[in-house]
Parts: sequence; C-alpha cells; structure tokens
Amino acid sequence: MQTLWQDLRYGVRMLLKQPGFTLIAVGTLAISIGANTAIFSAINALLLRPLPVENLDRVVSSYALREGFDPFGSSFLEYAAYRDRSHCFVSSGVATQHSFNLTGQREPERARGANVMADYLITLGVRPLLGRAFSADDDRPGGPPVALIGYGFWKKHFAGNIGVIGQSLNLDGRTYNVLGVMPQGFDLPGAAEIWIPLQTNIENLPLTERAATSHEIVARLKAGVSVKQADVELKAIARQLEQEYPNFRRGWSVKVISLRQDLLGDLEGRVRKALFALVGGVGFLLLICCANIANLQLARGIVRQRELALRGALGAGRCRLVRQLLTESMLLALVGGAGGLLLANWLVPALAMLNPIRGLSLGEFLHNFELDQRVLAFAVVTTLLTGVLFGLLPALKATGAHELMSRIKETDHRSGGAGSARRWFHGLIIAEIAIALTLLVCGGLMVQSFQRLQRVDLGFNPENLLTLKMALPASKYSQYRQRIAFTDQLPERMRNVPGVLSAGITTNIPLEREIAYDAIFNVEGRPPPNPNEVPITSHRIVTPDYLETLGVTLIKGRLISKNDRAEMLPVVVVSQEFARQAWPGEDAIGKRVRRIRAGQTFPWMTVVGVVKDVKEDRFNYRINRPVWYVPYAQVENDFPVNLIIRTAIDPNSLTAAVREAIHSVDADQPISNVMTMNTNLSTVLVTERFGAVLMGTLAISGLLLASIGLFGVMAYSVSQRTGEIGLRVALGAQAKHVLGLILGQGVKLILWGVGIGLAVAWGATQLLVSLLFETKAADPMTFASIALLLISVSLLACFFPVRRALSVDPMIALRSE
Amino acid sequence: MNSNELTETQPTNVVNGNGVHPLIRLAGVTKVFLTDEVETHALSGIHLDIREGEYISIAGPSGCGKTTLLSILGLLDTPSEGSYALKGHEVANLSFADRARVRNREIGFIFQSFNLIGDLSVFENVELPLTYRGMSAGDRKALVTEALERVGMAHRGKHLPSQLSGGQQQRVAVARALAGRPAILLADEPTGNLDSRNGEAVMQLLRELHQGGATICMVTHDERFAQHADRTVHLFDGQIVEDRMAA
Repeated sequence: MQTLWQDLRYGVRMLLKQPGFTLIAVGTLAISIGANTAIFSAINALLLRPLPVENLDRVVSSYALREGFDPFGSSFLEYAAYRDRSHCFVSSGVATQHSFNLTGQREPERARGANVMADYLITLGVRPLLGRAFSADDDRPGGPPVALIGYGFWKKHFAGNIGVIGQSLNLDGRTYNVLGVMPQGFDLPGAAEIWIPLQTNIENLPLTERAATSHEIVARLKAGVSVKQADVELKAIARQLEQEYPNFRRGWSVKVISLRQDLLGDLEGRVRKALFALVGGVGFLLLICCANIANLQLARGIVRQRELALRGALGAGRCRLVRQLLTESMLLALVGGAGGLLLANWLVPALAMLNPIRGLSLGEFLHNFELDQRVLAFAVVTTLLTGVLFGLLPALKATGAHELMSRIKETDHRSGGAGSARRWFHGLIIAEIAIALTLLVCGGLMVQSFQRLQRVDLGFNPENLLTLKMALPASKYSQYRQRIAFTDQLPERMRNVPGVLSAGITTNIPLEREIAYDAIFNVEGRPPPNPNEVPITSHRIVTPDYLETLGVTLIKGRLISKNDRAEMLPVVVVSQEFARQAWPGEDAIGKRVRRIRAGQTFPWMTVVGVVKDVKEDRFNYRINRPVWYVPYAQVENDFPVNLIIRTAIDPNSLTAAVREAIHSVDADQPISNVMTMNTNLSTVLVTERFGAVLMGTLAISGLLLASIGLFGVMAYSVSQRTGEIGLRVALGAQAKHVLGLILGQGVKLILWGVGIGLAVAWGATQLLVSLLFETKAADPMTFASIALLLISVSLLACFFPVRRALSVDPMIALRSE
Repeated sequence: MNSNELTETQPTNVVNGNGVHPLIRLAGVTKVFLTDEVETHALSGIHLDIREGEYISIAGPSGCGKTTLLSILGLLDTPSEGSYALKGHEVANLSFADRARVRNREIGFIFQSFNLIGDLSVFENVELPLTYRGMSAGDRKALVTEALERVGMAHRGKHLPSQLSGGQQQRVAVARALAGRPAILLADEPTGNLDSRNGEAVMQLLRELHQGGATICMVTHDERFAQHADRTVHLFDGQIVEDRMAA
C-alpha cells in the first residue's frame, strides 16, 4: 500500500513536471471518454434503461403489412386469431388510440388517450399508482364509465390530489369516474393521458369492424420463446386469415417486433443500426486516442530509459517498474476520465436535442439522456480500460531492457537504440490513420445520405405554413353536413385574419406523426392482373384551397374547387405516381377510379387533375407512392381535421389570432398540435440527422486526433533525430535532402495508413448500407476525396516538424561532443 | 568547388613554400556570442594560414575557443568579423546552401563521438556524404570501398555501428571523412571517446593519411596527441598565443 502511495506521488510529480504532455493527454482522453460516455447515455436511455413496463424485453407488438406498403395497425380479427391460435404468448391485449375532447374544466382541451382492453394493461404489467386498474367487469360491454388518468394529467388537472379517485371527468360530452392514476411516465399507447375500457365483445362485431386496422396489439412472450419465433408463428396465422377472409386479407402479412423497437419507432431497425454505428465510431475514436497517448508514453519511456535502468540496477523488478508506469497511466486516465465526464455533462443535453427516435410513447424515459449510475459506471470502466490500453504496451516496452549498464551510460541516441520503439510508433500511427479514414468515410457517407434526404423534393412549399389539428366531437357534429359547414366556414374566417394568405383543411398533414389514412383503389376497366395485387393510395380528404395553400404543383387539369359538392360529379386529384401506376403512359384526366372496402360500395371518381408527387407519409419518405385528394364535401368521414394556413408573416406570431378565429366559429372546439410545417418536418429525419451529425463530428474529431498523433510522432522523430539531421547537414545535406528524409518518413506512414484504412473502411461501410439513401456504400468519389483530405491534413501535420528539421543547426554535431 | 559561386580573395603577401595561396586563410576572425545582453568573445583577431598537406593541431584548455575555431573552419558557423578564404575563395559569407555544398566537397569531419547513424550500415554511413553530391552509385561504391580499405574496415561494410567497437566506429568515421577526397580533414578530439590503445591507433591512422598527402586540422586538449602534428597552435581566451612547428 505504501509503495502504491509512493507510485501515486511520483506519478503526480511526473505529470506536473511535463505539463504540456499532461495537458495534451488529458485533453485527448477527455474528448474520447466524454464522447463515449455521451453516446452511451443515448444507448442507455434508448436500449438499456428499465421502462415502466414489467420485463419490457418480453413484450412484443405486431404490425400488419401489405407487401410493398406501409406497416399499419392491427385489427380485432388479428387479435382474436393470435389470442386463440398462437402458442407463443402468455397474454395479449389490444388498445385503440383515442383523443378526447376534455370539457368542463377551464378551456376545452384535446387530450390524448386510449380505449384499452383490461388485458392490455395486464400484459404490459403496469399497475396504477393510485386506485386500481380495469377489471374484467369494467371491460364488459355496457360496463361502468370509468377512466384511468396519467400522472402528468393528475398533477395538471387535479393538482396531484390523492382524493382524485371517484372524481368525474367530462370526455367527449360523457362523464367518467376516475378509477386510478397511472405511474409517472407511463403513456402507452401513443402518449396517452387518459384510458377508458374498450368494453367491446369482439366476436359480436360485424366483420367490417373486426377487420378495421386501427388498433394496437401487445403480447407477452412465453419463457424461452423468441421474437423471431413469434414472428414466424403469426405470419403462419396471417396466411390462414388470408385464406379465411380473402376479401379483407388478400396480400396481407404481419411483422412482430419487440415493444422497445416499437417505442423507438424503429420498424426497419435503423435507430438500432445508427446507434451501433455510433458506438463503433466512438470506439474508434477511443482507439485513436489510446494510440496517441501510447505513442506519447512510448516516447517518454525512451527518454526515461536511464531512470528506469537505474531503478532496475537498484533492485526494482520488472513488475514493480510496470506497476509504477501503469500507475502514472491510470492517474492520467482518471484525470482524463473526470474531464470526459465534465464534457459529457455538457454533451448529453445537446445529444438529447438530436434525439433519434420518432416514437411518441414513454418520451419521459426515452428522451431523457442523462448521466445516471449506469452511465457513470460505464465511464469509470471505460476510463480504467483506457488507462490499461494506452499504458500497458509502453510500460512493457520501457521496462524490457536487460542491458542496464549500457542504458545507464547511454547519452547519445544517434548510434542505434530506439529502433524497436520506432516500429511501434509507426505501427500505432498507421493504425490511427487507418481508423481515422474509416471514421471519415463512414461519416462522409452518412452526411451525404442525410444531405440527399434533406434535398428530397417534398412536392410542396413548407415555408410560412401553420398547422393544427381538431377532432370535431360527435356530440356536436353528428351530421356530416354540420362538419361540411364547419370546414367551409373555417378557411373563410381564417382568410380575414391579418397576415393570413390562404387556408385549407385536410385529414392528414404531410409527413405528420399521427395515424395516416390509406385506401385500396380500383381502376375502371383494369382489374388487377394479379389477384394478390392490392393497389393502395394515401387517402386525403381535403377542402377547396387546401392544395393551393400547401403549394403543390398542378401538372395537368385542375385542383379541388368550391363546386365539388356532394351532389356534383365525384372527382379526384391524383399524384403523378398514382397516374403512372394506374394508367402507365396514358393521360389520367377523365379516367375513373374508386375506393374499395369489403362490405361497402364507393362511387367512381373522375380524375380532374394531376399534381406533382407530394411526400405524404413518413414511411415512404424515401420513395414516391400514390396519393389522391378527394373533396371533403363528397366523402363522408369522421376523421380529425387539420387546418393549414399560409401566412405572409412568421406563422408562430399568428397562433393566438388563429385560435380566436376558430373559437369565433365554435367556442368549444378543442385545438391541438399547433405548429409550423417546418417544426413538423424537423421530426421526420431525426434518426438520419442524429447519425449524420454525430458520425460527422466523430469523423472530424478522429481526423484531428490522428493528425495530432502524426504531428506528435513526427515532432518526436525530429527531436530524436536532431543530432542525426545536424550531422547530415554538417556532411553537406541540403534542405531538399532533409525534407526528403523527414517528409518521406511521414508520407510513408500516411500512405500505409490510408491503404489499410481504405480496406477497413470498405468493410465497415457494408454495414451501413441500409442507413444510406441514394448513396453507394462503396462510393469511389467519397473514398477518393476522403483519402485526399486525410493525406492533405496529415501532410499539414508534418509541416511544423519538417520546418523544425530544416532549421537544425549543423553545429549540433559538434555540440554533442 | 565552383569558383563562380565564391569570391576570389585579394592577393595576399603570404605565400607558401611553393609560391601559391594557402589552403585556408583566416584573417582577423572574431566570433562573438550574444546571450541575454552579455557579449562573449569566443575568438578574437585570429590570423591563421593552413597549407596544403599540413598536419596541424589546435590545442588549449577547455573553453579557449577550439571548437568555435573548428566550426568556423568547417563552415558550420560564420565569423562575426574577419575573412575566411578556402583555396583562395572567400567563404565567410556564403549562403547556408552554398556552405553545405562546400562542406560536402572540401571538408571531411571526424567527431569525438564518431557520429555514425545507428540505422545505417557501415557502408551506408561512409556513403552518406557522397549521396548529397548526386554522384552515381557506381562512383560512390568505388570511393566508399577505397576509403574503407584505407582504414581497414572494408570487411565490416554490412555491419551496423552498434556491432562495432569504439575504435572501429572511429575508423569508419575517418573513412566517411576522407571518402569524398576533401581538401582538409577536421578532427574534433578524435580520441576523446577512445581508450589509449584505440586512441593511439586512430592517431596512427591520421599520421598515415597525412603521409599520404592529406591536410589535417585536429583539435585536442591532450598534449600527447597534439605532438603527432607538424604544427601546433595554442589558443587561450580566444586568441592564438603560440604557433610552433614540430622539431
């Protein structure tokens, strides 16, 4: 213990003796450990931290799929089939997202909620904080009007009063008694604040209702059953349903994913891949850092050879010497680790702002990146490992001498010596350059891909657009004509608001994070050649002026007009992609299509206009898919409506005036999701932005660290070879000879590093393929330009050492005498 | 030496026995070092002629300016005042690059601690100054082989310096100095890092080279070795206090 204390004191003295070295090493370590800790905080929040769902990793969700189209919700039909036929699950439940108009308290308010089966909460294993959960009796058809409320809702509306149980809530014009308060942060499904029992006997519902896909299924896996096994079994059941209900389920399948993956909004696994790519990135950064400091330590080891040989001569064994050097490395690592934690403390909030997930639920947990105990433990372990990683090799090298006397006497390094250490320097710096190149290529590809995604033509003008959502309550708008009257009147009223240019209404805002509506369609005179082919279109029901307000480009024909009323000819405006799929090579104007739904008959609609493709759905951001726009007055529906307003000024400044105008039409109408279109769009590419920004930053950090490392090695090499350079100059070497000697050494290292790096990068980029958009993983331009960039920066890193070498005074050859 | 690059000195009234200019002429050479506003006169008013074929030793106590004088003679440093003519050409104010070129062709250095490059073989060490001349590989090989044979180290051409004894290393250093057939060999305490037996052997080697026609200027503080030279110049406090020929 006493010797350890001695080593510590000596270590501190050595670090203070060389403040330049200590500062560079601690700074480099702080950057690397800080970056690793920050990224781990994201991994921790998104993948590791326990959530308020019991044994979360055993819970799965299922999504219905139709080949080539979006995943979408499940139906009671699927739920009943899985419940009755599957052998993978202990329990399962179903929920339907449902937003409520909350009245009777302050201003009318739109509250997110859900109708849930009692088994839904049981399957999730969540119990109320106060009161009780739904019983089977609560959940029976005609059961009592009871509700569970969320923790935040309880705090906000009941001031956290524990006497809330039994109090009443007015939801959509009906009174419910509060049965319980759910635990803090629990908000499944879909950021719900209020839950009411489903109270539905599935078996008694008409088939059309049972087949409706507006529900969410969760199931808890039996012990030993994997997600993949469940997926295989449910796919088999989906094929049975296809046979049993061909009119409803032709061409359908299912995908089972873990609930955590579902919560991340990560059906395609991109978030997980992006996170692991970043873990690889920060790991690489840490390796570069370790190589840098190992090189510095190796250099110090050579300088300290005499001291170590002397200690050996005085009886210190190799283990003792290694321990002393490792103690110094650990000290350095601990100071660097402390700096890294400080840096991470600053980086983590910035990282949280770049939050890569699209999901709405459990945001209180998933969006909360913080330095909790697990992250701190990670930082400590990383710090200690880093200390061993960069300290062990130099310690072993420095203490490996057997000829002590020659080292004790050694004063001039020109004659031999340091050759083996130089090989290690060179090996480490080549590795650094190779890793930096790999990081740069991966970062470059992800940034390019993100830039291309950002440049995707949306098909509309998102600037100066204000959007908001309204659910028209059935109690007030039971007749469709009442809804039409509201949607006719509201845009007119908006146009009178100063600063508003135009306004329109749609059932879905482009790329919004809500349930989007699709429709299966049929083209007149063209039965699908393949009976399994189910043509689907984005289904948008819009008022006149909506498309003008959105700023779409009319290719042919006309847009929806005020004359497209219920009693007039049913019309439709289609996108270019729709026209291409329905009538390839033909003029779409005047052609007819209609919606298909089992058990219902819809009228033929005549195409009156073709518009440029609009990115309507998030899942199809990367491709164009068919969209049609039908007049609100011609298609009866009870979907929530979205108002979009084109403004001449900052749309945020009109929020109050817009609210006032809406309430002048209907004073009780709740309004939600008030935001600009750009705010809505900013949530679309979150995963890609997260990956690109962080990988880009890591790549630049890697480049800088590798350049610093190369600079260090070159500078050290020049300082070690000062005598040799002086001698060469004394023997008649010109500047070009010295330049060739030093730069040649640097160029050789750079070229080796770049060569190896290109091979490693090629392998690494193959893992990024699914994250890239319109960017080839082996893009030769990227590889070539990154290699050139790295070579240029590395040559720059050689500049100062070379300049120093050129200024070596030949007198040095005599001075050493 | 490229005469176009050097300035012809004014004719002087000092000629050697053959009636030609001396190989080296220092006239009024002074060297002042300025450090923290303190002027140190390392050399003051040095007048020194070295004739071709001469073997001269520069002796004196530590700090008397021997190494400074050698560095000026070797064009490693420039005088603060005075002139330096090498083969009748003024070389005191040459550019850095020109001094390097002259050094490479006209001066051979022998250092106290040999100054061999540890990563280069014996052959490559001897070859090193020749590579800076742009000489062909064949010519270099011939000169290196000849030099190594003259010092009796031809059989060690592929060895690294660390595989040689101190005496052998110094013989290689001598071979390097004379491989380019310089006008003068400048030796700075050539026996300083050697035991007496090896020291004597190196002095014998220098004597043989001198007998073969080489001009040698050797710095030493050891009177025994100074006596090997034909002429001994004694320095004290940066000035020549004695210049005597051997009996």
